[in-house]
Amino acid sequence: MRISLAFLLLCTLSLPAHGQTGNAEAAKGKNSWCMGCHGIPMYKTAFPEVYYVPKIAGQSPEYIAKALQEYRAGDRSHPTMRGIARHLTDQDIADLAAYYGAGGAK
Amino acid sequence: MNKLLALTLAACMASPAFAGGDAAAGKQKSQACAACHGADGNTPAGPDFPRIAGQHEDYLLKALKDYKSGARKNAIMGGQVSALSAQDMADLAAFFASQRGSLAVIR
Repeated sequence: MRISLAFLLLCTLSLPAHGQTGNAEAAKGKNSWCMGCHGIPMYKTAFPEVYYVPKIAGQSPEYIAKALQEYRAGDRSHPTMRGIARHLTDQDIADLAAYYGAGGAK
Repeated sequence: MNKLLALTLAACMASPAFAGGDAAAGKQKSQACAACHGADGNTPAGPDFPRIAGQHEDYLLKALKDYKSGARKNAIMGGQVSALSAQDMADLAAFFASQRGSLAVIR
């Protein structure tokens, strides 16, 4: 029992963190929340303070996934992003990361 | 366009708290950043590190300020910004925003 538990733990650890494989095509049905801000060139947030929303296309999928996971967990502070990320599944995050991660690579 | 420029200028002058960033000074202070983000900010050392070249200057500055205040938590960045002044952060944001990068806006 102890050995199989240890083995199971080892298997889990050797998987990449949040092992979902992202599908960029699937993200197209999931990014309506994203495009309202990140899809408009030079768009500024009005809340909670005014600044240009970051360009996200072209970041690595890993970085985008990490950002969304941090917002979902409450570890990163933007209230709008927290509200949106709360509704995302691990698969949604992987798909959106694949979509925007590929977007800027030219 | 001229109107936008005038408005921007007016906004800058109307907010004395904002220390305007100097890209050339930022370049001088950017060695520590280069280790992870790349010297140009567009060639990160690994997929966990974001591209910062060509990112909006005010967003970069906000990120640095948030790391400094603890509003945004990252073990590496929290340590890096602890020694930076408000002027250092403004200069670094100006430098990396002025670099050519492959970030883009897509829908």
